[in-house]
Amino acid sequence: MAHAYTPAQTHAEVTRDVVATLGTPSRGYVMMLAGAVGLFLVGLFTFVMLLKEGLGLAGYNPPVMWSTYITTFVFWVGIGHAGTLISAILFLFRSQWRTAVYRATEAMTVFAVMTAGLFPIIHIGRQWVFYWLLPYPNQRYLWPNFKSPLLWDVFAISTYLTVSTTFLVVGLVPDIAAVRDQVSGWRKKLYAACSLGWTGSDNQWRHYTRGYLYLAALATPLVLSVHSVVSWDFAMSIIPGWHGTIFAPYFVAGAIYSGIGMVFTLLIPLRKMLRVEHMIVDYHFDNLAKLTLFTGSILFYAYAMEYFVAWYSGNPFEQVTFWRRAFGPMWWAGWSMIICNAFVSQLLWFRKIRTNLTALFIISIFINIGMWFERYVIIVSSLSNDYEPWAWGQLNPTWADWGILAGSFGWFGMYFLLFARTFPIVAIQEIKETIPFPRKRGGH
Amino acid sequence: MATMTPGVLGSFVHVDAATDAIRALKAQGHTDLTVYTPAPNHEIEEVLDHPVSPVRLFTLVGGLTGCAAGFAMTFWMSNDWPLLVGGKPIATVPPYVVLGFELMILLGALSTVAGVIIMSVVNARKRVPYSEKFSDDHIGVFVPCRAEQAAAVESLLKRAGSVEVTHAA
Amino acid sequence: MDETQDTGMDRRRFLTVLGVTGAGTAALSGCSTDRVQKLIPYLVQSEDQVPGIPTYYASTCTECAAGCGLHVKTREARAIKLEGNPAHPVNAGKLCARGQAGLQSLYNPNRVRGPKNRQADGGTADIPWNDAIAEFAAKASAAGGRLAVISGAGRGTFSDLLAAWTAALGGRVVRYQPFDHEPMVAANRQVFGVAGLPSHDFASAKFIVSFGADFLETWLAPVENQRGFAASHGYHDGTKSRHVALSPRMSLTGMNADEWFAIVPGAEAAIALSMAQVILAERSSAPADAVALRGMLAAYAPEQIAQQTGLTADQIKLLAREFVSAEPSLAVAGGIGSQHAGAAQLCAAVNILNYVAGNVGTTVRFGADLDAGDGYAALAALQKQMEAGEIAVLVVHEANPVYALPKSSGFAAAMAKVPYKVSTALVLDETAALCDLLLPESHGLERWDDLRPRAGVQSLMQPVMEPVFDTLPTGEVLLRAAKAAGGPLASLQAASWEEYLKARWQGVAKARGAGDFPTFWVTTLAAGGLYDAAPVSAVKLAPGAQSVVGTSPAFTGEGEFLFAPSASSLLYDGRGTDKPWLLENPDPVTKITWQSWIEIHPETAAEYDVREGEILRLVSASGSIEAPAYLYPGIRRDVLSAPLGYGHTSFGQYATGRGANALDLLAAPGDAAFVPYVSTRVRLEKTRRYQKVAKTEGSNRQLGRGVAEAMSLGAARRGLTPEEAHHEEAGGGAHEINTARELDAIAGFAAAQKAATLKGNYAGDHPQWGMTIDLAKCTGCSACVTACYAENNIPTVGEADVLRGREMSWMRIERYYEGGEEGEPLETRFVPMLCQHCANAPCEPVCPVYAAYHTPDGLNGQVYNRCVGTRYCSNNCPYKVRYFNWYAYNKKAFPEPLNLQLNPDVTVRARGVMEKCTFCVQRIRGAQNAAALERRGLRDGDVTSACAQACPSDAIIFGDRMDPASRVALSAADPRGYHVFEETNVRPSITYLAKVLTGAEA
Repeated sequence: MAHAYTPAQTHAEVTRDVVATLGTPSRGYVMMLAGAVGLFLVGLFTFVMLLKEGLGLAGYNPPVMWSTYITTFVFWVGIGHAGTLISAILFLFRSQWRTAVYRATEAMTVFAVMTAGLFPIIHIGRQWVFYWLLPYPNQRYLWPNFKSPLLWDVFAISTYLTVSTTFLVVGLVPDIAAVRDQVSGWRKKLYAACSLGWTGSDNQWRHYTRGYLYLAALATPLVLSVHSVVSWDFAMSIIPGWHGTIFAPYFVAGAIYSGIGMVFTLLIPLRKMLRVEHMIVDYHFDNLAKLTLFTGSILFYAYAMEYFVAWYSGNPFEQVTFWRRAFGPMWWAGWSMIICNAFVSQLLWFRKIRTNLTALFIISIFINIGMWFERYVIIVSSLSNDYEPWAWGQLNPTWADWGILAGSFGWFGMYFLLFARTFPIVAIQEIKETIPFPRKRGGH
Repeated sequence: MATMTPGVLGSFVHVDAATDAIRALKAQGHTDLTVYTPAPNHEIEEVLDHPVSPVRLFTLVGGLTGCAAGFAMTFWMSNDWPLLVGGKPIATVPPYVVLGFELMILLGALSTVAGVIIMSVVNARKRVPYSEKFSDDHIGVFVPCRAEQAAAVESLLKRAGSVEVTHAA
Repeated sequence: MDETQDTGMDRRRFLTVLGVTGAGTAALSGCSTDRVQKLIPYLVQSEDQVPGIPTYYASTCTECAAGCGLHVKTREARAIKLEGNPAHPVNAGKLCARGQAGLQSLYNPNRVRGPKNRQADGGTADIPWNDAIAEFAAKASAAGGRLAVISGAGRGTFSDLLAAWTAALGGRVVRYQPFDHEPMVAANRQVFGVAGLPSHDFASAKFIVSFGADFLETWLAPVENQRGFAASHGYHDGTKSRHVALSPRMSLTGMNADEWFAIVPGAEAAIALSMAQVILAERSSAPADAVALRGMLAAYAPEQIAQQTGLTADQIKLLAREFVSAEPSLAVAGGIGSQHAGAAQLCAAVNILNYVAGNVGTTVRFGADLDAGDGYAALAALQKQMEAGEIAVLVVHEANPVYALPKSSGFAAAMAKVPYKVSTALVLDETAALCDLLLPESHGLERWDDLRPRAGVQSLMQPVMEPVFDTLPTGEVLLRAAKAAGGPLASLQAASWEEYLKARWQGVAKARGAGDFPTFWVTTLAAGGLYDAAPVSAVKLAPGAQSVVGTSPAFTGEGEFLFAPSASSLLYDGRGTDKPWLLENPDPVTKITWQSWIEIHPETAAEYDVREGEILRLVSASGSIEAPAYLYPGIRRDVLSAPLGYGHTSFGQYATGRGANALDLLAAPGDAAFVPYVSTRVRLEKTRRYQKVAKTEGSNRQLGRGVAEAMSLGAARRGLTPEEAHHEEAGGGAHEINTARELDAIAGFAAAQKAATLKGNYAGDHPQWGMTIDLAKCTGCSACVTACYAENNIPTVGEADVLRGREMSWMRIERYYEGGEEGEPLETRFVPMLCQHCANAPCEPVCPVYAAYHTPDGLNGQVYNRCVGTRYCSNNCPYKVRYFNWYAYNKKAFPEPLNLQLNPDVTVRARGVMEKCTFCVQRIRGAQNAAALERRGLRDGDVTSACAQACPSDAIIFGDRMDPASRVALSAADPRGYHVFEETNVRPSITYLAKVLTGAEA
């Protein structure tokens, strides 16, 4: 790999620079954390009100029985996928450029899935009995219904959260040990406890690298399956606009697309804030942007195919749904999804845009908005005009919808920011793996 | 450091120096080495030439158990109290594939981690000296040996290019 | 009778005190007077109260003048549901929405809870009944001849007592109800010399023409009309009757017509006379005395009057020919929708039309003498006396003239001139609010009473439970006042109102030669009354027939539009507005709930740039109203309409301040004999303010999705299925049909799937509950909706949540339009939509916790306790018949004592769970238990759902589809049968039978 990127640093510099990110927080960081906590409190208040009064506070308008909460759920699950793609799939493909960014994206995965996991609970009518979805022995001898895609969801999301958390923690252990060896006092004790006795001995590396490889190998089909399962929440139903065989790949591509968008949104400011600009460089963004272009193009195809299939099927229910998606009362949402995702992503054909971080940041905001709207359009526009014309209705979101959405960003941001200041956000060990050791005989 | 395994610990900054040392040590019959690196290194792995880690068996057994557990759970629970939904058979394979798959991944992943921990603990040599530099940019080679061999080992390490040699007793 | 026990009302008493059963004598004397002082429930068990087992009492509905028979279902001595009395000749076991909502009148939280009198400061204070009656007696006897009573009570022992009581003091009673059919009474007097109201036989009529007579809504006896209409107009034996409606606005009756003509307002009489002219000119078989009318009718030859009617001469001729060739036919007029200044002449013209067509004596039967009051003229005369200060004491009983008369009539001001006013109102309505003494009457379900709604029918009422509040039957008040006052009233003595009533019935028993009165009484009470066939008296044309004129009435005022208020079957004259069931049950025509509205034709709206929901102001010389616009294709472009019944200023928490009162626009009726509702021209003003209309209609077009199917009479006769009929209509073009191999494979797969389901409880034979709904019979009246609310404890959610589409109506009536654009005639189709209990229910597999599952007997079960509220089931339901508890509706919807109406057999659903139609599973299980106790299997007819039971059209049939002899299995085999969204392969348990259309050519 002649043009492969190799950091122009020594092993010791990597340790030093990364440990430096854990120093005294900057003013900007504190303000962002305060903002995140504030948003989280808004969400918490909204949730308490939902518990107290009922879901009626949100803008549900039957037949739209799922709305912004499920939209935001799918949004966050999707965000998670980019992290696993970069950390696991690219690991299997031995794409070395991932090393600088994978830790941040993997943390994003864990916190995004953590955020997403809250939504099914927020969304259900009786939040206090959410555990009834788990197969546990109870007095009534009742088991859940494994035919329901929602049960698949329960298993897929909880497996995903468990596996990606495990993957993150396993990857962190050597890095925590490295930090442990650089700090002193109580912090040393803390990192020592978290490092699980890691020394980097040949025995540890031998089992660790194997284990890490298998974890990546397991995470790869998992990441593909999770968003497929989420897509089947919709595709398994008989609702026109949901009932599509294209849904699984369409959703997986969308998930990765949205996740990389979020990676841009997070990393572009973060690398400045943590002063790791020299470690996360244009090269990484260029590669990420190419992935964005690729998945964005898949979305372009999927959108086109949805309309084509609706027209070609001759199924009037499908046709009306898609007609109304484009020209009905929700046309603005339908077009913002197409423009933000299918068209904006095409800008990334240009290398100049791919390496211009300001442009990428702006595009990433479009991606975030577009992908939220994609889910909103799929869910709300399909439900608002399905089989029974008499029952058609339009959703009007209320403060309770926006409060929970804002709260989810606060909750995610809070954890992500705390993580970024507590643990190495750039993978020390993996970067070091790409830096050749000095040789006494010179050369590489 | 009274409880430490007796032996000699050499630090290297050059990878070829470390591999030279390891090769030489192995030639002298010192096979039970502990080598510290800040990151996995192929050259060192090569000279150490360990057998493939048995962690993969954990992954395999965990995955198969998970898959079987997923199918067994869904079929048993469906038939434990048969309830008809949507005119579908009481227990059906296609939807349960999803659960078999997810549990396969879940148990596979957890048992892999368990395997890493167990194997690391089981094979680990207790009370081996360590230096904080090994997580930074140094390669450490610890050679367990009796006090009388220490001097010979030290000179071997130094010859190979060790930047620092300490004795543990 | 111990009067001292009348105080200290305790609501818990009706758990301890028992009503009177129609079947037992033991408790007969115990109910209305003796009150138990201690709470000792069931220590000594009453023989007719078994906990958990309902007791039924026969009674009579008092919600309108029709006098339908009731069966009151009580549980643990409280009424929980009103059903029709199958033995009663008027309603034959059926009951309209308003009749069923009588329960919410009984338990209305806004009821006046005891006697009160007006204090010096203008407020009211509670007083004991003894003081109140003493005050009333003193004032009434002091007034003497200056006493007047306005009573809306029907004909019966009470009205006799009231008349005698008032007459004894020298006063007068005016019996007045807003919809009193005065024009019909006047027309009958003019044309036939008979003042009575005839009965109308819709069931045998083969051709029905309605001149704005809303016989499915407010006209005479709506339930009886609907029964008859459905019997003839529904498809049966290869035929059906034809119904043509002529009115400026399409009412529910118009929607059920095969053809609706938006005629020029006021032209109805001319059209009727013109049809009579054609008949007389073309037919020789007209009654001999009718021939004499030829001269008078000559002026109404179709060619001469067609221009001013909105019909062509040919259309009139065709109508006339169809009318006379259908033997018998029926023309009706005199409804609120055509009650303009010329309404009496219209009714007279229609009398002539019926007469020349030979319908009088066949479909129009005089002698039935339907109950009618004294009419507006009598009330207006009384008002003049009041204004002149000639009335000292005014008693208002079961009437609310301050609301029901146009504000411009000045009735409220006239009331102010009366020094002492007494009201017996249940709820503090506009009239009662002006009164000095409130003597709240016991509800019809709390008191003894009887009614004679028509000749031959003597309908009884009995207390089915202890009074909810400290109220008395007004008959009791009159008798006690007579005792207190003495003097001229001394002759009116009885131990109690109950005894008084019984005494009269002893006379009835004697006249009928019944030997043993107690037996006679118990039998009659159990039957709900005495039902004899009404005598039919022959009538001849009176000289007045010659002077009938068909000229259009003058409409008063300035403005581009004529204002035609509408009266719905739900709110009636406004007496329904205080009942949440009726407010939330959507208006059958516009599907609007909880709000008033202004109907405007879409083209007119476009011209004025009005969108739905813009608040429009209508201004007449008498006043103005504001309400949101509703674009309605069933109204003439030059007519605007608004519903009657809204805009109460005092009528309890639900009605007060709700909507605009359409009567505010009307000019004072003056010397008219009736209130001409359609009489005022109005100006339309835009406000450019907007409001969301609380309607339940999503899309009013079915977009060819086959929800409400229809076929021509010819196709139905040839036994085509709806699909075949469509196919034929479309010219029989290419149509994809599965090959035999494909069909085999599909059936084989279905059989294999089915076999894999027969485990556990599912093995063996089970009934499969099913339903058929005949759209040829359904009129969209929405009685089933209220029945469902009552049976299943469905909460009303209120205006704000209806605006978000969150109404909980397990059964809803969808109203789809067909045509109506580019000159096509507007057709309306009604589809009752409820859970289809699909065999392959898409809602079931998606539920993660098995809250939705299939029962062995084919029900789509919903386990509320198991539901966690993911709402996936609702998403996946193609019919959208699942309803979610967004809030704790169960706590908000039933403020005390409305909670007493709840059916103890049905769970009140908590917040956060999904609910839906259960096919009245509690009734199925109840019937199964009852049959098991008798050691027998269920028979067809043992179980019926609440909707099927209430349906006045008999459009709904419920039963076991596995029983090949059951009514439901037989009717489902009708070729007209189809399943909605059959292409989804959900295999519903409900079969709809396509509507049958008759065009003019049929």
